Amino acid sequence: MAKPQAWIAKTGKGTSMKYDICIIGSGAGGAPIAYELANAGYKVLVLEKGSNYKEEDFTKDELAVSRRGLYTPLLKDEHHVINERSEDGTVTRYDGKEYNWSFWNGSMVGGSSNLMSGYFHRMKPDDFRLRSKYGQIDGANIVDWPISYDDLEPYYTKVEEVVGVSGDAIKHRFLESRSTKNFPYPMLEVNAVTKWFDSACKSLGYESIPTPRAILPHNTLGRKSCSYSNFCGSYGCATGAKGSARAALLQKCDAKVVSDAFVYKLDSDEKRVTRVHYYDKELKSYTVEAKIFVLSAQAIESSRLLLNSKNIHFPNGLANNNGEVGKNLIFSAGGSGEGRIRFESLTIKQQKELMQAGLFFNRSLQDWYEYEDKDKKYKGGTIDFLFEHANIISRAKREIYDNNGALIWGEELQKKIHKNITTSRVLTFEVFNDWLPTDYCSVTIDKKVKDKYGVNVGAINLYSHPHDVKVGEYLAEKAKVVLENMGAEEISVNISTSPPPNLVAGGCRFGIDSKSSVLDSNCKAHELSNLYVTDASFMPTGGSVPYTWTIYANSFRVADAILAGLKS
Amino acid sequence: MIFKSRRTFIKHSFLTSVIFVTCAGELFGAVTPMRTIALVHKDLFPDSGMAPNIDDINASYYLNSILNHSRVTDETKKFIRNGAEWLNEESAGEYNKAYSKLSASQRQKILKKISDTRWGKNWLDTIMTYLLEGMLGDPVYGSNIAKSGWLWLNHKPGLPRPVKALL
Repeated sequence: MAKPQAWIAKTGKGTSMKYDICIIGSGAGGAPIAYELANAGYKVLVLEKGSNYKEEDFTKDELAVSRRGLYTPLLKDEHHVINERSEDGTVTRYDGKEYNWSFWNGSMVGGSSNLMSGYFHRMKPDDFRLRSKYGQIDGANIVDWPISYDDLEPYYTKVEEVVGVSGDAIKHRFLESRSTKNFPYPMLEVNAVTKWFDSACKSLGYESIPTPRAILPHNTLGRKSCSYSNFCGSYGCATGAKGSARAALLQKCDAKVVSDAFVYKLDSDEKRVTRVHYYDKELKSYTVEAKIFVLSAQAIESSRLLLNSKNIHFPNGLANNNGEVGKNLIFSAGGSGEGRIRFESLTIKQQKELMQAGLFFNRSLQDWYEYEDKDKKYKGGTIDFLFEHANIISRAKREIYDNNGALIWGEELQKKIHKNITTSRVLTFEVFNDWLPTDYCSVTIDKKVKDKYGVNVGAINLYSHPHDVKVGEYLAEKAKVVLENMGAEEISVNISTSPPPNLVAGGCRFGIDSKSSVLDSNCKAHELSNLYVTDASFMPTGGSVPYTWTIYANSFRVADAILAGLKS
Repeated sequence: MIFKSRRTFIKHSFLTSVIFVTCAGELFGAVTPMRTIALVHKDLFPDSGMAPNIDDINASYYLNSILNHSRVTDETKKFIRNGAEWLNEESAGEYNKAYSKLSASQRQKILKKISDTRWGKNWLDTIMTYLLEGMLGDPVYGSNIAKSGWLWLNHKPGLPRPVKALL
């Protein structure tokens, strides 16, 4: 194979760069492509809208990270329009800036994978054939994936090894098949309260599963081990133990990463994408040419970019002559719940165990990944258990209301804050189940509102199928029983139709039929020979697990397909 | 009750400019929003001996930094100032005095009264939120002096801690 050459040329109108591969977005969807292609000798450029943070930049500054949104754009500069559809068909329009409704995640090199908690579950074989297995549901657009679990399994394994996933693959009813016996990295240290949880599950006949985490328990892969800082989710990892796309992949290859580069348009001819245009921080425009383009800007923004990239060949937006771009947007359905474990019911030893800081909880239940209710089989989901986030300001803030929703203050408030934070701990759970794809949940372009770059913003058309809440509530009831069995108090559940902005997928479905999907089975646009989409946009259904592992795995799979094409 | 002065501002410094407290056209005094809010801080989070006091928190200093913060919206900043003005107007309407001239029990009654209104509940929530941020945020922000808030709640901050405030 001849080693490809890249060149950068100055043109009269600015700088034009030419690469073998140009990747838009540096998160879990883009970074595996960059890693594989760059390590194969190709010249790879990654354009990232956000800034470039490294390990040394990551601190546990709750005010900056969790209160002031350090890693997300200001809504006055960039936001979305949300058109929320209720069950009776009425649609309410919300301007994200006015309503402080943000769908941004980690706008930074490595994307939101920097800020994830790293709860890593594989999708199950039946998730790839939801339609065949469980049938259609009225009002939903359920389809099977064009690939099977077996197609993706080697890449799940690759992610375990390359990105780094720690865990213990114990046998349980819904454990998916594995090509390796166990995870390459052992489980992280866990809090002693997990024993109480295991005991409660055993007495209930539930199978407690150690939650796999994309976190290294010891120094390896050229990265440092977890420091058990007690502040993981929402924060960048200062040791590099967390398997972010940045730490695990981009920092381990020679791909050129340009940060603060907002791609606003793709040009194409009839068959190929020819160049991308991006703005830097000063709104200076640049152009990049490449042989292959990979779009991975996060599901909503990828659809937005395609829809905004109209030309004579694609008057409805790039790769959208069949009108499918932006359709079937999905989120992770479900919600959360919690219960408080108080000192009063514990021995001194147990009190100390409860308050052990830094150690993980790492327990999940998948007993109801499929369940029967009234003689009918349903696709269920996953329940992850974890301690309430260590953020002290938010923990104190939740105490300023009494049980009736009235504000309290003064000594009453001081006593409540002190008692609840120093003599109890909240155990929470998160429910993950399918957000069914429908005609009413999609990405379009708002014709009126523009962002600070002067580009029309994405409109998120929101709708949650009633089935989603039904399944979520079923799972949450099971989780509640565990908390009750553990002696938790003040148990509450919040299963809703609210879309989690960090768990979004769809919009550019992959499929075999070019009339009803945007991408082929290798995530290449049906209509363009050199455009791939590799963030979660490709997913026709989302499974009942967090998406990141599947995004990583699929991106490694697509990288192999691109490499095979280049070699041939 | 409608107050003519509700949206009338004298623009100097955001919280140190004087607002004239009026009710039904009658002038009841001139106060600054910052002095009003400083007193509200003490009323919401009194020096009880069981928690950090307002000086330990350095609450006014922290709130001032919020009012100049690059990532806090203008709407929020304006609401903080307006709320101080409306609180004084409520005080004038109820007791013919500015908030700072009320007795401690009168001030508590006014706080209770506004907490039952939509704007008042939101404003007190906002003031309390920034007070808690000051009390429990990293001391690099100039508040939570000597880690008094963290020590009170046996809180161990995550490491590494910030070396510079994001303002």
